[in-house]
Amino acid sequence: MNCLQSNPAIRRYLRQFAVAMSACLVLTVFVVSYFHRVHPKGLLAYLLAVLPAVAIIGIIVTVGLYLAEEKDEFRRNIFVQAMLWGLGGVLAVTSVWGMLESFTHIVHFQPTWTFTLFWCFVGISTPFLQRRHR
Amino acid sequence: MKNRLRDLRAELGWSQAELADRLEVSRQSVNAIETGKYDPSLPLAFKLARLFATTIEDLFTDEP
Repeated sequence: MNCLQSNPAIRRYLRQFAVAMSACLVLTVFVVSYFHRVHPKGLLAYLLAVLPAVAIIGIIVTVGLYLAEEKDEFRRNIFVQAMLWGLGGVLAVTSVWGMLESFTHIVHFQPTWTFTLFWCFVGISTPFLQRRHR
Repeated sequence: MKNRLRDLRAELGWSQAELADRLEVSRQSVNAIETGKYDPSLPLAFKLARLFATTIEDLFTDEP
């Protein structure tokens, strides 16, 4: 993991990612507990409901900033490839699941899990992509 | 794409890490280029050529 020590762009990305992810977790817990206790209605309900999504958008912005700041084109290439695997994985899973939902009685897939699923595929593909070029 | 990077680096006695430092890229990048698993962009290819005081055509070949 020496790349983490030697590259300021990666360090900055990991720091921003951790902050945005923590914000997402805290906001999700807060919103869930608030809806459970207070049952807000109207505009307040809408505003509260999108709060965790704002943090998720923050994570997406963080990724964009990293891609813009990363000077090592090879690392950037690996990262983009991993994200393409993430997108492909999400599209494949949600397409299959969608068809299953249409024609069978499978449980509904919550779209809020799409982002988590995307990062799972990114996380799985990254070591394989890095190993290929080691 | 084939290249003479490893030979030229060896002539100068540089390690992959040293070359990576001079190019301001990761050692992994140098290894990927040397082994032909990654083709560098034109700016990086020019940087390599300048570093070894040669031309891009001398460094890289698209012959199989």
